[in-house]
Amino acid sequence: MLTIRKLVFEVIIGLVILAAVMLACAMFGSQDISFADVFDADTTDYQIFFKLRLPRVVLAGLVGAALAGCGVILQAILRNPLADPYILGVSSGAGLGVMLAVITGIGYNFLAGSAVTVCAFVGALGTVWLVWIIGYFTSGTQTTSLLLAGVVVNAFFSALIMFLTSIAQSHQVYSTIFWLMGNITEKPSPVLYSAGFLIIAGIVLLFIVSQRLNLLAFGRKQAQSLGVNITRVQFFAFAVSAFITAVAVSLSGLIGFVGLIVPHAVRLIVGPDHRRLLPLSAIAGAGFLVISDTISRTIVAPSQLPVGVITAIAGGPFFLILLARYSRKVSWYK
Amino acid sequence: MKQVIKAENLSFGYEPDQLLLENLEFAAEDGEFLAVAGPNGVGKSTLLHLLCGLLRPASGKVRVFGEDITSLSRRNIARKIAIVEQNLSAVFEYTVEQTVSMARTAWLGTLGFESEKDLQIIRDALEMTGTARFADRPLGSLSGGERQRVFIARAIAQDTPILFLDEPTSFLDLKHQLGIYELLKRIQRERGKTLITVTHDINLACRYSDKVLLLADPLSWYIGRTKDILTSELLEKVFAVKMFSAELENQRFFLPLKLPEDR
Repeated sequence: MLTIRKLVFEVIIGLVILAAVMLACAMFGSQDISFADVFDADTTDYQIFFKLRLPRVVLAGLVGAALAGCGVILQAILRNPLADPYILGVSSGAGLGVMLAVITGIGYNFLAGSAVTVCAFVGALGTVWLVWIIGYFTSGTQTTSLLLAGVVVNAFFSALIMFLTSIAQSHQVYSTIFWLMGNITEKPSPVLYSAGFLIIAGIVLLFIVSQRLNLLAFGRKQAQSLGVNITRVQFFAFAVSAFITAVAVSLSGLIGFVGLIVPHAVRLIVGPDHRRLLPLSAIAGAGFLVISDTISRTIVAPSQLPVGVITAIAGGPFFLILLARYSRKVSWYK
Repeated sequence: MKQVIKAENLSFGYEPDQLLLENLEFAAEDGEFLAVAGPNGVGKSTLLHLLCGLLRPASGKVRVFGEDITSLSRRNIARKIAIVEQNLSAVFEYTVEQTVSMARTAWLGTLGFESEKDLQIIRDALEMTGTARFADRPLGSLSGGERQRVFIARAIAQDTPILFLDEPTSFLDLKHQLGIYELLKRIQRERGKTLITVTHDINLACRYSDKVLLLADPLSWYIGRTKDILTSELLEKVFAVKMFSAELENQRFFLPLKLPEDR
């Protein structure tokens, strides 16, 4: 049985490994730096390590943790293994926000800067609530109508994005395409601190309901008869995960695959208990995105690939290997 | 004897103009084994859901230990009533032990971890139902009889004075049918729980229950001691099937003979 001591132990081990991975990845790059010089404030190695690479690695870690954690939560509350953090409209909403920002020119001059971030955030969160309200008023918190509402709103907004793309000028389109593919760039440290606080606080809040999320797997009536106020838990989990997904998306664009495959990969290994699945998926997601981002900025150096390309190319085969390796133990995947 | 659960003037319909149950009145007393029987579609499972507050009645009240169930929180109800439903399956593959431990949800603290006492209760429930030896196996790898025992173990671990079961022996072979009912009888005797079981098996109900609620079509019902309700006259009337009834070793049993001529 899972005890709190065992879980704390696993999380600490996970965090130590994650810290080592982040440190190693920060040492890698188009410019070789020496470990000895990194801690000397007068060197350029110090500047590269602390001012450029470390913030970027930390950002990748935060975004990866947010996406994988929210993937776990959405798969649980929608009772659907195909759910990911984007399924209820975050992606198209954020995309539309960015597209509007770029086309109207408010964000064009500083694409990596705050106007686009704000528009993405507002678009993501606004769309998610729109989907929730449509789903809620059509049939309470029945997940099927929520999913359908998400799919339809996503399709509709994607059409709007395509429409805007077709009337926009090519240089405007080019800059948003990178964003739509998911792209991690250096961010100023206040942005990093606040995002870090929001994402970590969100995951801690989600952990509190994670035991009750286990019961949702057996259906609404079961969870209720075992003492879960399902409307409240579902709403809480949805609101918190929508919020931190919007934070992540506004910082890094639409990085696909992390929120879908990391929860599955971790579930294959540690099982479906959400008290364990949520923190370990968040740590694994952070590690996965840190490594993917390091590859994306080094493989074609000095130019860079959008990290979303790497997560999909590396994540797919990796997941299939896990599936083949572990699915014999877990009949649900058969 | 104390009434632990009581239906007062209970009416319900899935469509507002089409009632399924009307002005139903009955009570289960402390430590009693009540069987709910009746033809398909008379609202037996619906009744269980009404009694544990998962459905709201159109009119009337359900009282649990004297309290109106609508005034109780889900957590509070889950500490009083456990329910074993039909055909349970999960989206993700939980082990037997994980499934049973979910019973403790209504008793856990903020972080949702089981205390030593919770773990002891879970172990006891696994032992009592004979499921301890496959505690680490995933639920999907079990046979129908084993699965049913796991869900009964979960209901025991919920540690409630009242236990509902919705056709606990459908899809089970003869040996497992008897095994489940023997287990339920033990739970009634050893733990003093009040049991309400929906069943299609008149013979098992006749053998194990103290009281029977016979729901009949349309909107009528009979309640009383098992030997007074389960008679071939009443069963023929309610099920519209010609019945043969006899006694063997002091045990009454029924055989359906044929459908009435006018069908």
